[in-house]
Amino acid sequence: MERERGTLSPQASTADKIARSHTIVEVRVLACKVMATTACFIIVSRNDIPIYEAEVGSAMKKEEAAHQHQFILHAALDIVQDLAWTMSAMFLKAMDRFNDLVVSVYVTAGHILPILMLLHDSRNEDGIKSFFQEVHELYIKILLNPLYLPGSRITSSHFDTKVRALARKYL
Amino acid sequence: MANYLSPFQTIKSACDRLVIAVEDVSDLWPSVKEGFEQRLPFQKACLNNKTRNPVFVEQLPAEFILTTDPRLRSRFPQEQSVFWFREPYATVVLVTCEDLEEFKTILKPRLKLIVQNDEKEWFIVFVSKAHPSNDQATKMAKKVYAKLEVDFSSKKRERCCKLDLHGTESIFWEDLESKMVESIRNTLDRRVQFYEEEIRKLSEQRFLPVWNFCNFFILKESLAFMFEMAHLHEDSLREYDELELCYLETVNTPVRQREFGGLDHGDDQAALLNPVFKPLTQIIQDDSFREFEFRQYLFACQSKLLFKLSRPVEVAARGYAFIISFSKTLALHENALPFCLREAWVITACLAVINSTSSHYDGGVVAPDVEKEFYRLQGDLYSLCRIKFMRLAYLIGYGVEMERSPANSASLSMLPWPRPAVWPVSSPDASSEVFAKEKIILQANPGAKHFDIQRKPLPLEPSSLLREANRRRASLSIGNVSELLDSRHSVTDGSGADGVSKFSPSSKTNPSSMSRNFSGPVNFESSSPSLDRPMRLSEIHVAAEHALKRTISDLDLLKSLSTLQDFEQKYMELTKGAADKYHNSCWKRHGVALDREIAALCFKHGNFDLAAKSYEKVCALYAGEGWQDLLAEVLPNLAECQKILNDQAGYLSSCVRLLSLDNVLFSTKERRAFQSEVVRLAHSEMKHPVPLNVSSLITFAGNPGPPLELSDGDPGTLSVTVWSGFPDDIALESLSMTLVATNNVDEGVEAIKCSDAPVLKPGRNTVTLALPPQKPGSYVLGVLTGQIGHLRFRSHGFSKGGPPDSDDFMSFEKPTKPVLKVFKPRPLVDIVAAISSALLMNEPQWVGLIVKPMNYSLRGAILHIDPGPELMIEESQMIEIEDYMSVMERMPQITESIALENVSSISTEKSEQLLLGNGKIALPDWASDITTVLWFPVRAIDDRMARGTSAVYPQRQSVVDGMRTIALKLVFGAFHNQIFERTIAVHFTNPLHVSTRVVDKCNDGNLLLQVIMHSQVKASIHIYDAWIDLQDGFVHIGKGDGRPISSFFPVVISPSSRAAILFSIRLGSMTNEDEVPTESILNMRYGVSGDRNVGAHTPVSANPGVERELLFKSTLILQRPVLDPCLAVGFLPFSSDCLKVGQLVSMQWRVERLKDLVESPRSTLNVLQDELLYEINVNPDNWMIAGRKRGHVFLSTMQGSRVVITVTCVPLISGYVRPPQLGLPDVDDANISYNPAGPHLVCVLPPTLSSSFCVPAAA
Repeated sequence: MERERGTLSPQASTADKIARSHTIVEVRVLACKVMATTACFIIVSRNDIPIYEAEVGSAMKKEEAAHQHQFILHAALDIVQDLAWTMSAMFLKAMDRFNDLVVSVYVTAGHILPILMLLHDSRNEDGIKSFFQEVHELYIKILLNPLYLPGSRITSSHFDTKVRALARKYL
Repeated sequence: MANYLSPFQTIKSACDRLVIAVEDVSDLWPSVKEGFEQRLPFQKACLNNKTRNPVFVEQLPAEFILTTDPRLRSRFPQEQSVFWFREPYATVVLVTCEDLEEFKTILKPRLKLIVQNDEKEWFIVFVSKAHPSNDQATKMAKKVYAKLEVDFSSKKRERCCKLDLHGTESIFWEDLESKMVESIRNTLDRRVQFYEEEIRKLSEQRFLPVWNFCNFFILKESLAFMFEMAHLHEDSLREYDELELCYLETVNTPVRQREFGGLDHGDDQAALLNPVFKPLTQIIQDDSFREFEFRQYLFACQSKLLFKLSRPVEVAARGYAFIISFSKTLALHENALPFCLREAWVITACLAVINSTSSHYDGGVVAPDVEKEFYRLQGDLYSLCRIKFMRLAYLIGYGVEMERSPANSASLSMLPWPRPAVWPVSSPDASSEVFAKEKIILQANPGAKHFDIQRKPLPLEPSSLLREANRRRASLSIGNVSELLDSRHSVTDGSGADGVSKFSPSSKTNPSSMSRNFSGPVNFESSSPSLDRPMRLSEIHVAAEHALKRTISDLDLLKSLSTLQDFEQKYMELTKGAADKYHNSCWKRHGVALDREIAALCFKHGNFDLAAKSYEKVCALYAGEGWQDLLAEVLPNLAECQKILNDQAGYLSSCVRLLSLDNVLFSTKERRAFQSEVVRLAHSEMKHPVPLNVSSLITFAGNPGPPLELSDGDPGTLSVTVWSGFPDDIALESLSMTLVATNNVDEGVEAIKCSDAPVLKPGRNTVTLALPPQKPGSYVLGVLTGQIGHLRFRSHGFSKGGPPDSDDFMSFEKPTKPVLKVFKPRPLVDIVAAISSALLMNEPQWVGLIVKPMNYSLRGAILHIDPGPELMIEESQMIEIEDYMSVMERMPQITESIALENVSSISTEKSEQLLLGNGKIALPDWASDITTVLWFPVRAIDDRMARGTSAVYPQRQSVVDGMRTIALKLVFGAFHNQIFERTIAVHFTNPLHVSTRVVDKCNDGNLLLQVIMHSQVKASIHIYDAWIDLQDGFVHIGKGDGRPISSFFPVVISPSSRAAILFSIRLGSMTNEDEVPTESILNMRYGVSGDRNVGAHTPVSANPGVERELLFKSTLILQRPVLDPCLAVGFLPFSSDCLKVGQLVSMQWRVERLKDLVESPRSTLNVLQDELLYEINVNPDNWMIAGRKRGHVFLSTMQGSRVVITVTCVPLISGYVRPPQLGLPDVDDANISYNPAGPHLVCVLPPTLSSSFCVPAAA
């Protein structure tokens, strides 16, 4: 478990934190790429509950990988919780490394929205960022559905299809 | 210059503080030495750092050395430029002189010689030995010192100070100290400048071939060392940082192939905190140093300075980064290094950093953020160390004992195998060890997952070790065997257990048998692993163990790898360390992942208590954050612990949690196993039956749609939807539900029990609950409780109408929908009398009751009717019920019915006849929701006869007389729980009210008696006949029967109107017989035509076709005339106008006989006599009667005879006085008519004044 912290330094004044506490995101998207063509994508609601997860890659899926990915992404929440309040950027690239895997996080603004995180091994930062942004859009559309209870699991197959399409496009 | 390295090291180790030279000119040092050395180390010395900014050094150590000391004398001059840092930083010249001449001739030239060297920072201390009492000597010393000052001090700089040996001037010492520090500062500045210049010169040559890193290093380190001596650690650290950068730059230039190092014995032990681990001279290579040692040396120097600066946190941070980057460097050179040196180095390096930073970290005043960061770094270090340690242990065959958790798997399976140039080969004589290893592998207890959970075990290796090791054996020809091995092994590849599948019993024996296939016992016993034969797993382990023993020099590490127990002890130590540190740093997720590993090991060692505690922590976090995959992986372990510990409550709740996890995480078979465990425990004899919370498993909700609405006091049936998360049907002993009033939380809730013991199917069930009457309010579902076997369970889980989704934590925030509304008590039904006007007394009459349900069904209602006193129900009659129409609607029909003289001709759509039984009737079902009228016949009984009244003096009849009450009780509601009671007043009356008056008294003594009949009912009364039975004293005229002319009949009296009949009667004689009636009675035969909806009507009869005439009787009271005057007494006026006292006055009464007193019984005696007795009634105080007061006068018995009675009397007092009255005692008052009547009072004047009464006293 050789891990390097990202380039982020957790230094922000208290006042700054307080000021931002109203704008910072409740939504994290975790995406996890395991092999070059494999990525695991997770949306974590507030309370750190995963509300959507998908293996968004074309690589052969290993059964045991799911457990490992979940574990890595879950542990990365420790860092997200440290950094989310000290950074002003929404996209926290490569904020955690796990051997060859990298966790990228997209922290959305607002109080009812989740945090987006991505674990991947590619260095295609722009692609990942675009992916996050589009997924964020999708999520907001889901949220507009009056039958969707914020914070509950996303079971929409349409959402799933869209996310996978986006993953193919950008990752 | 490279050959300076060795002396440089010597010098550096020999000198550790700044040197101040003492030029003891006058042999004074022994006497002042003590005082000088007391000033050391200097407090708050102000020095300049490299950027020429003043820095206050708290404690600056220094050393005084005499110039005659060999340490200063024996130096070669050429060394000085490089090793300048060791030269004195100040020179103190100690002099004394008591003679001016001597100073001028001897001392001054000598001093001039000493101080002529400009490079020295010097100053003179003049020591005065003169005793203060010796004035002469003191004066002289002063003079000499003054001279000294003139000669050596300049305006710019004071270079002299004076020490009185016998004085106690503290000023001197401060002065001395400041002078010394000033000198040191100046020297330091100059030397820094010098070194910088030198370094700059060298740096310029960096890309020239002549460049020599060693020289650069010596200069740079000299400077750094000088800063360190001066306690300017920051500057020193910066020098080392620059040095490191510079070194990395040289190392990374791929010009020349350099030796890396790390091949010496003991190199596996990281020396990153020990700068003197190896002398630099040993690691020199060409013009530079070996990277392996030198980078550790640099880091050691840096960390030493950081510790001096009290920054252990930074040491940890730099150390972690250094270990990571150095580990990568090691990986680059791995094929040149001993087997697994990299792993061993990382382990020792991490432990070294952890230990030293922990010992230097006092946890003092640091910001919480920094503290967290520190613990986090330590946790990272521990974690890194732990992984490498596990990798080593795996290589030597302890892998089968490792927990295949996601954390371990993720860490290890993504960590590549070591890549030695040649994989170690087991020595031929290690066959016994190979056996032992094989045994371990075979005996490894693949702890079957609890509940027979079948899972593919997670891998602990990036690829099969068997394949990797054999592939890396240089000697093994890439031939069929390895190909075969690859293809065969790919079947189990990724199963995670180099040949031993830990979790799947079915494939458990495969790998070993496979390895036998390849090697075979024969082959094996032929000992030496031939070059062509691939190694077996156990051989790989043995070979690795041997290689590691060669590599690792750290005894501690070796020991912890020697046996399984030692390995587990160390493993536990590292895991606990990492977990603790992560928990301290609030990285709970990292910490919890390690807690799980601790738990696994505790479990393995049978320490179930600790294991359960740790597992609980893990499960709590995963469950709290809803990471079900991870939870599903741990929870069975926790359940197993609890089962072993006999913690039934915990075990049950774990089973329930397992069941409530997402369906896809466990197969149906596994879920059934969970359920059967729950059921088994529930039906077993539990010592302490525990309540179980199944909120996540069994959820419930009210039915969709509006809530059940009940009236106050009504029971009802509530149906509730219950979702069962059990995979199979589950039979419950009981099931109950509490209802919580939304408006009143304080009130205790009562559970409502389901009547039968339900069997819950998987998924949706509908349960009906019988509700007892509830208080008014709105209710939501509270808690579901129930019993499985002996086990009581409860669930708070509301479901939003779908299958239970335990992910959805927000469902708890959902406002719960009321399932039941109980209305406040309100009138549910109203019963009023249908008519308001009076009914006929003593006749059977219909009484109508309007029964009006108010949005409430009266199905099955029973009406109890209880007539009050003087009222009876005609039970022979049927009771009629019909639907109700308002009066306005009925009016045309009523009019018609009256016209037709029907009781009621209203035709309603529904009507029915009911039978009254035992005072009760049951309302028909059709009447349950509509307003109906209930008619039942009653008869009010009144024995008294109606009384007529005089029209002149009308007497009102009391209404109460005709009032009768009917008590009603309506029992209704689904469970006959509602009761409506009311007492209804019904007014009865006689049809007519009769009054009489005498219209005229005729001259012939006849009387015209008018009988006025006032109708009392709202119905037309037809009078067919009427007659009067007269009382004694009255007779009908003409001896008739007293009937009016019959042609007038029938008379019709409209409602509330009056009619009159005239009867002519006259006074008759009194008979004085007892049996003669004393009251007259009016008899009437009549009929009534009215509608029962309005009021009085034709009496109910058994056969309605026959019209019956009714008889009405009313008493009339006729009074004979009261007055019958026989005598008239008239008062004659006074003769004079005024009466005066003493004046005679005659009073006259005229008595006249009006008629004979024949008929007066009392006067029968006097009738025969003509005498009339009279009497004057007078007050003798007022009047004096002249004559007789009482006497008889003659009065003829003839009618019209008259006599005047005269009485003379004198008034005695003046004023208004009552005059005398004439009374006739023998005659009844009723027979006397006073006409005109005498006055009541007369005015008597006082007597006129008369002298005759005034008799003089003298006369």
